Amino acid sequence: MASCFGPVRAALIAACCLAAVACGGGGGGSTPPPPPPPTNNVVSVIVDEGPSNQSVNTLFTSVTVCVPGSTSSCQTIDHIQVDTGSYGLRLLAPVLTVALPVETLSSGNSLVQCAQFVDGFSWGPVALADVQIAGETAKSLPVQVIGDSRFATVPAACSGTGTAEDTVSSFGANGILGIGPFELDCGDCDTTTHGLYFACATATTCTDTTVPNAMQVPNPVTHFAADNNGSMIDLPAVAAGGAVTLSGSLIFGIDTQSNNQSGTQTVLTVDGSGELVMTFNGQTLANSFIDSGSNGIYFADSNIATCTTTGLTSFYCPGNTLTLGLSIQGQNGVMVNNLTFGVGNTQTMLNANPTFNVFPQLAGQLPAGNAGTFDYGLAFFYGKRVAVAVEGNTTSVGTGPYIAF
Amino acid sequence: MPIFRSGEIKITILLSAVLIAALGPRIAGATLGEPEITVQSDVAQLRASIKNSSDRASYRVHEIQLPGGTLLREFVAPGGNVFAVAWNGPTKPNLRQALGKYFDAMVSAPKPKFADRRHLQIQQGDLVVEGSGHMRAFSGRAYLASAVPSGVDLGDLH
Repeated sequence: MASCFGPVRAALIAACCLAAVACGGGGGGSTPPPPPPPTNNVVSVIVDEGPSNQSVNTLFTSVTVCVPGSTSSCQTIDHIQVDTGSYGLRLLAPVLTVALPVETLSSGNSLVQCAQFVDGFSWGPVALADVQIAGETAKSLPVQVIGDSRFATVPAACSGTGTAEDTVSSFGANGILGIGPFELDCGDCDTTTHGLYFACATATTCTDTTVPNAMQVPNPVTHFAADNNGSMIDLPAVAAGGAVTLSGSLIFGIDTQSNNQSGTQTVLTVDGSGELVMTFNGQTLANSFIDSGSNGIYFADSNIATCTTTGLTSFYCPGNTLTLGLSIQGQNGVMVNNLTFGVGNTQTMLNANPTFNVFPQLAGQLPAGNAGTFDYGLAFFYGKRVAVAVEGNTTSVGTGPYIAF
Repeated sequence: MPIFRSGEIKITILLSAVLIAALGPRIAGATLGEPEITVQSDVAQLRASIKNSSDRASYRVHEIQLPGGTLLREFVAPGGNVFAVAWNGPTKPNLRQALGKYFDAMVSAPKPKFADRRHLQIQQGDLVVEGSGHMRAFSGRAYLASAVPSGVDLGDLH
């Protein structure tokens, strides 16, 4: 056989190389081989009761983590919360069966994080893992291991921020997948200490530290080999009264494959905190957000009755279901008008369907001191395909950070 | 470009020191439920600086700028005690410092039904703690219900 790389005619080169490829399959027929299949960029998601059996309007998926470089020390973990209001993959140590190596700073100290949430904090080391979700992979990705017994002592600077959430029951999930519109959970932790990252010389000697961006816990999507400019959450519509569960898809990438095209989506650019301007009840609320990690629709309206049942007093219990209007404006000036949402009577909805975990009309109060916020939670995503583009990425319809639907 | 002689700098520093000493009791931050004058400790403990202090109709507000960018406001009643603290910024402040002896009550409060990671709503006796937000933007407040001066709109405590 003539060499494919010899000085032969172009037609011969083509035929020769085609034959060489075909030979790999043992065939030799005249049909060209199909192109390599695109990366599987779709993972299923579900709204259910969660591992704490108490979740409502909380979206979960599964993630596979491996010890870096290993194909055998791997584990698939279910009920990882899908959260567009945070950044980074965080796993609860009690469910983790593989030993992930802890990241070490140039000083030789271990890197440990104090992840902050409004209702508490989660303490644990930053470890490295090969992460796989659907067919997408991120090699040696910094992830947080929450409640890791290797770093059991929480420094006062971390515990002083609130209540510990380092068990599956207190966290309400086996982990969290933060895929908001930024790469990092901190804007300037490489130059300023915030009480978020700590350098630990020993398990009990930890001090607040700056940390290079590449070592921080990032939105995993930004580290995928492909489809890394954002993601889409696609959920079906649900009846006003709710449902036991709701299943849909999390699709990685925007305009990177035939199944994640932007089409005619409306782009709302978010600010440096991931926020939008919403207009509700004649008020302009400049610190508003759309967030898959919020389990209700939260806003302040003193005209709507709140529930009287103990434990539910911050949720709304109007006499009849209300239909209210809302406008949302992006930083790019684009305005979406005439949106409506329902506010049900929380107590009535719970009484009618105590086994439901999906409540599109569950709404609650924001404290009066937060009058500048409207927090539109997972209910916003029901019946929509919502894209979240990461900062700095340009798609066919805009440049991130943005939310589009 | 102005050039200062060393003597002028010394005078400026001296005047600043006198000014700070004179204003000291007024510009100090404080801890919830504690007297305003006990303070300075918040500013020192939090490695912070006073951004502004202002008198409202029925209380005084100290704005403390934390080094990470978060603003902490402390509200002082006419009687001289801090009745509320509020925060807003990219990270939460050290609430053990800001809430003082009330911190343990906040931490031990039972988790409410339908809690998520974006909201905080606690009422433990006289203590009320509320918050909302997400990574990169947190806001919240804590106040002692019985210590709020009459006529104060809770909506202004932020």
